[in-house]
Amino acid sequence: MSPDRQTLEKARAGDAAAFAKVVDSCYASIFRFAMKYTGQRQDAEDVAQQACIKLAHSIASYRFESAFSSWLYALVLNCARDWHRQQSRQRADTLDEDCGEAVADSADESRVYLRQVLDEVDAMGSGYRDTLVLVAGEGLSHREAAELLGVKESTISWRLHEIRKRLASAAMQENGHD
Amino acid sequence: MTDDDLKSLFEGVDRIEPGEEARARARQAALAAFAGKNAQVPQGNVTPLRPTPSSNPLDGNGRSRMNMSKRQWLMGGAASAAVVVLAVSVVMKIGNPPFEPRSVLPVASEGTAPKPAPPEEARRDQQAQLAKRQAENAAAEREAVAGPAKGQAMADSVSQEMSSVASAPTPTIAQPRPSAPQVSRKMVAAAPPSSAPVLAEVSPPAQYQEVGHDRFEAVDSSPVKSVATEPVSTFSVDVDTASYSFVRRQLNQGVLPQKDAVRLEEMLNYFDYDYPLPDSRETPFKATVTVTDSPWKPGNKLLHIGIRGYELPRAQHPASNLVFLLDVSGSMNSPDKLPLVKQSMGLLLSQLQPSDTVSIVVYAGAAGTVLEPTPANEKQKILAALDRLSAGGSTAGGEGIQLAYQLARSSFKKDAVNRVILATDGDFNVGITSNAELQGFIERQRDEGIYLSVLGFGQGNYHDQLMQALAQNGNGVAAYIDTLGEAQKLLVDEASSTLFPIAKDVKLQLEFNPQTVSEYRLLGYETRALKQEDFNNDKVDAGDIGAGHRVTAIYEITPAGAASGLLEPSRYQPQQPAAVGHASEYGFLKIRYKLPEESSSRLITTPIPVDGAELSARMARETAFATAVAGFAELLKGGQYSGNWSYQDAIKLANSNKGEDLYGYRSEFVQLMRKAEVAAAMK
Repeated sequence: MSPDRQTLEKARAGDAAAFAKVVDSCYASIFRFAMKYTGQRQDAEDVAQQACIKLAHSIASYRFESAFSSWLYALVLNCARDWHRQQSRQRADTLDEDCGEAVADSADESRVYLRQVLDEVDAMGSGYRDTLVLVAGEGLSHREAAELLGVKESTISWRLHEIRKRLASAAMQENGHD
Repeated sequence: MTDDDLKSLFEGVDRIEPGEEARARARQAALAAFAGKNAQVPQGNVTPLRPTPSSNPLDGNGRSRMNMSKRQWLMGGAASAAVVVLAVSVVMKIGNPPFEPRSVLPVASEGTAPKPAPPEEARRDQQAQLAKRQAENAAAEREAVAGPAKGQAMADSVSQEMSSVASAPTPTIAQPRPSAPQVSRKMVAAAPPSSAPVLAEVSPPAQYQEVGHDRFEAVDSSPVKSVATEPVSTFSVDVDTASYSFVRRQLNQGVLPQKDAVRLEEMLNYFDYDYPLPDSRETPFKATVTVTDSPWKPGNKLLHIGIRGYELPRAQHPASNLVFLLDVSGSMNSPDKLPLVKQSMGLLLSQLQPSDTVSIVVYAGAAGTVLEPTPANEKQKILAALDRLSAGGSTAGGEGIQLAYQLARSSFKKDAVNRVILATDGDFNVGITSNAELQGFIERQRDEGIYLSVLGFGQGNYHDQLMQALAQNGNGVAAYIDTLGEAQKLLVDEASSTLFPIAKDVKLQLEFNPQTVSEYRLLGYETRALKQEDFNNDKVDAGDIGAGHRVTAIYEITPAGAASGLLEPSRYQPQQPAAVGHASEYGFLKIRYKLPEESSSRLITTPIPVDGAELSARMARETAFATAVAGFAELLKGGQYSGNWSYQDAIKLANSNKGEDLYGYRSEFVQLMRKAEVAAAMK
């Protein structure tokens, strides 16, 4: 879904119509990524909107040095992290206002489950959530994820290993209680 | 658990389609931002779709608040979060489904006029407006106990709204149009850094500030000591001025500064006392000791030690290799932070020689090089790089520092001053955040010849303690820049002091003569105290003096036999037998220092006579003014030792000893004392 080079060049030069095209072609993937990162539609929409605005400001700085998609990943990831930081800062003073949300369909159910997993992974430290979403959610290779996050490939593998271990033990605990 | 299990986690979520409404909104916002960025229009609001009362809940007020809004940061997420926080109580009472704040944004699909809002939406609109007004009021009164994000977000949500309004349906998108953020950005940009600096003391525009998170180390004033038991006092010089600027800022806002923010020595050393210059270059500085009567305690004496370093004529300035390390994190997003940083760096640039090199490293969520080492004569290139900076993201200060040092090393000049200049509000929250680790790192770099100076900006979340620690370990100055005027003083008028060290590890040791002095107290320098044995130990780090720097230290002493002392004579210890032959001396002053490139120290000694020569009118004036500054600082700290001495007395003393006051700093100081008097009376 990546926009072609010509459109990107135009958008970089300040052509609003070309930029609109870029946004149109990327929005869905931006939103999906945000959805996986946040596990919540509203937040995902916010993050996506933020990413689009950021895209407007920084598209001129895209220099075709890397694939547009990886460049975009980095940008969206930053927005998502901003959101996340913001959220964890505020979690202390707001009630999780949708905890009473009714689980309407299977999509909702998987969303709730995903949120639980993400919370669990968050507790492991910084970087784990990013790793999980990029590799498991977006299907990036360990190497690609490592490049994006600026860490070693082995770090990514290690984190995933840890995440699996953690989730498995969390699941066991739950079963044990049943 | 396998990879497939992990993948399946996301599968359900992956099927969720983006909402059309949200997509349209994001598109609008992005296009507005894009148009705003690329518009090439004169300053001013020429769009027919200017914010009107109906579209802008903040009425006229909103326009003046536009200039605090910047583009970046989490407009969507933070805005909704902020409104949720503020509105959630309202909503909960009514028992609504989760409040959806984004509906405050006018949603308009392309080419059609906005539809009249359905009642549901209108009601939410009102709630959002109400919430916003509350937030507005709270912020205006600076009473909101809110995190930075909320305040920022509120501002941003306003600008976002405006941008959506400005870019709402018009037939052509291709044509660049001015939008609200565009205007606001221009207003914030103010004068370009290259323009002639103006010394007008314009306080930054009123806007939301984080309140009450400034961090200062709590230090008790040094106590009165008995000469009989502790005749020797040792401390390191300090040329920082941060405390004065911070105190000034607080007083200009009509509040007394917190006591820990007042560091007497930094207030004292803010002023350029006209002490005698050193006789020759052999000794980099000259110390002058004068003894005067204490104005606040009859019977006591004040012992002034005034040090002045030699001035370095411009032609003799050594080459400089400077790395500007600038904090561009989200917390710097305020008119008195990043824009002021840019202006300040522009000012400093004007003081450099063509061959000096400048590089720029920024840090926010990650650190990056903005400008490779560039000769200072390529001024346009440097200014352009500065101009491009904008604030956003978290603060990986530690990482930034490492990168800055790397760059400084890569362009290291042997005979030059290699210095990293850090400009920040002190909020390091990513990377090396352990202060001890950072300090260790900076210390090692210092030993390799790269110094660090710290310029503090902003308030509400200012981490003074860390700034001090970093600068002290980096052989640099810690200063606080609250206005462009302060930037000019520090980076233009006193650029050579700020940049070029003439002596390092300067330590003072004063031994009092028990025959003539019964007790003493050092005013200020609490954080600079050294152990007696550290004086002769060249391994122990101490403060530095730059070209032309003035350092003043004041002791309050009680002469032997005077009744003004605070300590009772001991019942059991026998009175010290008086040393013979020194009855004409109060004490003996020793100063140790190293030349910048040397590692072994030199010693200057001078006895302090009881009956010193008559003070020249100039010295009398300078010491009296210094006394007024010290006394004022004591009052701000609570007046523990200053008896009935009042602000009025301090004002009188300072007023009659202003001297030439070419730059007006002393007059400003008198004004500050008046403000303190008023603030204290209101307390």
